[in-house]
Amino acid sequence: MIKKLAVLLLLYPLSSLAADLTDVNEIINRANNAAFYTANDGRAVTRMTIVDSQGRKQLRQFTILRRDIEDGGDQNYLVYFTRPSDIKKTMFLVHKLPGKEDDRWLYLPGLDLVKRIASGDNRTSFVGSHFFYEDISGRDLDADTHTLTQTDETFYVVKNIPKNPASVEFSQYTVWIDKNSMIPIKTEYKDEKGEVYRRVETLKTEIIGGFNTATKMKASNLRNNSYTINEMRFIQYNLGVPENIFIERSLRTPPIKWLKRR
Amino acid sequence: MKEKIVNISLERPKLIIAISLILAILLGAMIPQIKIDTDPENMLPPDEPARLFHTQTKEKFGLHDMIVVGVVNENSANGIYNIKTLGNIHALSKEIKNIEGVIQEDLMSLTEADNILQDGPGTIRFEWLMNTAPTTLEHVEKIKSAVNRLPMLNNTMVSGDGKAAGIYIPIVEKHESYRIASEVKAIIDTLDSDDEFHITGLPIAEDTFGVEMFMQMAISAPLAGLFIFALMWYFFRSVTLITAPMIMSMIVVIATMGLLIGMGYTVHIMSSMIPIFLMPIAVVDSVHLLSEFADNYRPGKDPKQVTREVMQHLFTPMLFTSITSALGFASLALTPIPPVQVFGLYVAFGILLAFVLTVTFIPAYIALLSPKQLQNLGKVDHDQESNGLLARFLRRLGEKSLAAPKLIVSLTVIVLAISIFGITRIQVNDNPVQWFAKSHPIQVADKTLNKHFAGTYNAFIVLSKKEGDSKERFLANFDRVISEARSNQLDLEELSKVAHTSIKEQPSLDEALEGIINQLDERSFDATDEQLPYIDQLLELSEEQASEEKYFQSPEALAYIEQLQTALLESGYVGKSNSIADIVKTVYRELRGGDQEHFVLPDSNEAVAQTLLSYLGSHRPNDLYHMVTPDYRDASIWLQLKSGDNIDMAYVTEFVDAYVATHPLPKDVALEWAGLTYINVIWQDAMVKGMIGSLISAFIAVFVVMIILFRSVSFGLIAMIPLTVTITSIYGVIGFIGKNYDMPVAILSSLTLGLSVDFAIHFLERSRAIFKQTGSIKETLLHMYEDPARAISRNAIVIAIGFTPLLFAPLSPYQTVGAFLATIMAVSCLVTLMVLPAVISLTSNFLFKPEQNKLGEEK
Repeated sequence: MIKKLAVLLLLYPLSSLAADLTDVNEIINRANNAAFYTANDGRAVTRMTIVDSQGRKQLRQFTILRRDIEDGGDQNYLVYFTRPSDIKKTMFLVHKLPGKEDDRWLYLPGLDLVKRIASGDNRTSFVGSHFFYEDISGRDLDADTHTLTQTDETFYVVKNIPKNPASVEFSQYTVWIDKNSMIPIKTEYKDEKGEVYRRVETLKTEIIGGFNTATKMKASNLRNNSYTINEMRFIQYNLGVPENIFIERSLRTPPIKWLKRR
Repeated sequence: MKEKIVNISLERPKLIIAISLILAILLGAMIPQIKIDTDPENMLPPDEPARLFHTQTKEKFGLHDMIVVGVVNENSANGIYNIKTLGNIHALSKEIKNIEGVIQEDLMSLTEADNILQDGPGTIRFEWLMNTAPTTLEHVEKIKSAVNRLPMLNNTMVSGDGKAAGIYIPIVEKHESYRIASEVKAIIDTLDSDDEFHITGLPIAEDTFGVEMFMQMAISAPLAGLFIFALMWYFFRSVTLITAPMIMSMIVVIATMGLLIGMGYTVHIMSSMIPIFLMPIAVVDSVHLLSEFADNYRPGKDPKQVTREVMQHLFTPMLFTSITSALGFASLALTPIPPVQVFGLYVAFGILLAFVLTVTFIPAYIALLSPKQLQNLGKVDHDQESNGLLARFLRRLGEKSLAAPKLIVSLTVIVLAISIFGITRIQVNDNPVQWFAKSHPIQVADKTLNKHFAGTYNAFIVLSKKEGDSKERFLANFDRVISEARSNQLDLEELSKVAHTSIKEQPSLDEALEGIINQLDERSFDATDEQLPYIDQLLELSEEQASEEKYFQSPEALAYIEQLQTALLESGYVGKSNSIADIVKTVYRELRGGDQEHFVLPDSNEAVAQTLLSYLGSHRPNDLYHMVTPDYRDASIWLQLKSGDNIDMAYVTEFVDAYVATHPLPKDVALEWAGLTYINVIWQDAMVKGMIGSLISAFIAVFVVMIILFRSVSFGLIAMIPLTVTITSIYGVIGFIGKNYDMPVAILSSLTLGLSVDFAIHFLERSRAIFKQTGSIKETLLHMYEDPARAISRNAIVIAIGFTPLLFAPLSPYQTVGAFLATIMAVSCLVTLMVLPAVISLTSNFLFKPEQNKLGEEK
């Protein structure tokens, strides 16, 4: 009985009966954690389908291995490509450092080359898809000023205005955060004319290992009706990934044990 | 028949006039629906293979029509590389992105370009080249060195000499270019700048063209009407007499244009000339009719009876001149150029309508004239005319011509021979941008930008890898693995079925393989330990095939492209070319540390794929897909040409043909061309070939009509002399003076044919009639230099002058047509009046004696 009560109490804040959050910073912090910092570590196989404005498709598949150093703070990624075969074993290593420029490395097996990648901003395409690098790893919360514009039955709607407009291609964006899971369900970007030209959506969420997890996401260019769909499968959390595999050496000799999906 | 028509017109004049006016009003009501067509692509029928391929290529590689803004700074030593100019480019580009109808993500400007550079040892950096306006000289210097390092930008975004920068604005709808350009201009006006700005690009040219076409129709055509009116007044001094032809020609023009527009045809540069063609042609027959009427009418006579008499001997020649003129124009329908076809057919229609109105509307008009008006008409002073300047000139011309017929004929033969030599020197060439006047901003922009840049004219070489036998080979290898498994008692038949169905159902092997790989991948999860090695083998096989399918990712394919580009550049015909090979080499160089020695193609499919993957991680990954399709089965090489002349484009295609002959294309690879500069060559070619056919058939048709008219082959032959001499000598002159044989020049031949045979018809008809009266060749010919010659010269002058307002039109094709038509009228009139009498007097025994009786019977 007490156990049951405890469970109920635990679930209580997640239920829709909970009092609405009103502090925008708390909302975006929790959404950030729900979207990018689930558990302590995790692994997923992502199948990425890039569809251009003429409906022509390209497919890429990669395994993402993640380990958080601090919730909402530093974290490490390994992205290991498996398909198509000509980019097999290509790998990204990312040391995400919110508030600073991330450390990123790229390994190209065909050139037997490890390269550090620097970028003026994080709004470069992620391997030619409609997802930006930043959509995959999370945008620095301090880069924008956030306003809670609306709270309805299902969503917190947060408007975000960049602090440095020159560094980004949008003038503002709005996020719809699911009140239950705190997962951002929809993000719409507006251009200078105030038109929505880009959208990132969570098409499907599942509870995996007790965690609400986005398993299907879509990024669309609304100007030419092209989009990319990411489907995440074989998701596992709290694998106990050691910190010492997120190093440059892993690029040439991938930690297969941790990357293998079963 | 002809009596009937004339009688009805004379008896029910109001009905006839009402019908004519209603016709004009009904058809004229269509005119407001006018749609102007300025798209040069429409020179080819929509289903023409070269055009289909061009359209397909544009879609496949996401190529849009572009407005080009050129920023030129000739004064500063560093050209555009200074804080102020770059700041303006920055401000302008950012504003342009907000203009409605601009495809933002494909905008090409320094502000939108991505820079790839070395950022310390082992680090490459992707960053916007000029996301913020530079405020320091260091920043300016950095931009300059980046542009010089990036082959995709150098000489495209900034000219090689650094004096000019380009902003390429892709737009959604071509017909919006005028509005967009005006908005760009408005932004430019707000800039504080000492630089020159030029706005050009094909859509602008087209849109401007439309405006100038309207100007031509709104100014030149009414001006032609005015000229003709003034000229006729000079000749006849009677407003009553010339009002009817003027109204009639208006009806013809309105009805023809109304019908054309009502039938759903767009008004192209050719059809916009219809009014100016129809007006003088429509006027001449009725002038003929009215002046004869005035000659014969004396107060007291019954005007209807006089009309019947005049009609009696003018009906047939007028019918035949109308038919031959209509035939000449209608023969343009045989060219494969739709706008030229529409032009020819509708002018032909207008000429026939003009004939119908001449024999109905004009008699009806006469029937309605009051006795007083008729009296005034009769008073027209004919004596003055017969002693006028023209009359005296013609008489002298007659004396001279008849004095030395042999000399004239030999001179004609010599002129013909020289002209034929001239014709062999004709250079076929056209360039729609050159249709604008030299001082037109578009021509100025064209000249300035091509002086600095590698070229603003585009053509595309498209290389496509065909499927070949790869499907069969793949399935054979696939089934081999399956049967190996079978020999080890493992049943994997289902997988073979998967492969076969997938390949059958999917449109391409590439897509089929994706499905096969997915299924194999899924299958590998629940495979037994025995099955797994085979499934892995199948997976590997499929993935290898999938990689092989991406042909334009292979070093072999890229090397071919690279070598072709090098050869093109060395040939000097091409200013610059851009391809996927350039992207691969640039990124590879930066990955390898940035030294120029690494500006080479990597050596394996994987290395190329991974180099490109790095590029795709930039801000503008989609730029790649203007060079190669996402499946890597088609690649395009974008050629920048300094000249849009067809002849220069033809050199390039010939060069590539020769190159391919000595450097065979890789197996199953096809090479094709696209791009507007190339399309121009195609229709030009079709036009030249089509014009020869149209000219020959029109010549034969007119010849046949002449034989029917004169009931004599020899008269038919003689009637063809003036037009033959005229056409040959005009084209001979074009060959000698080096004027390009372009679209307007091409259509001239048919026009000449249709118009100059008129003079011969009138001349021969009249000489036969006079001969019938006099029985003497000498007398006949002398008489011919009186009023018959005056009538002919008057017609020639009316038409020639009627076309001269084209000389004031803003576009060069109009000017060409105006100038040459005036010349043609003069030449064919002179040839008729000099060569025909000479030939007749030399062959009179043969021509007139045996025919005399027959001719007498006929009349």
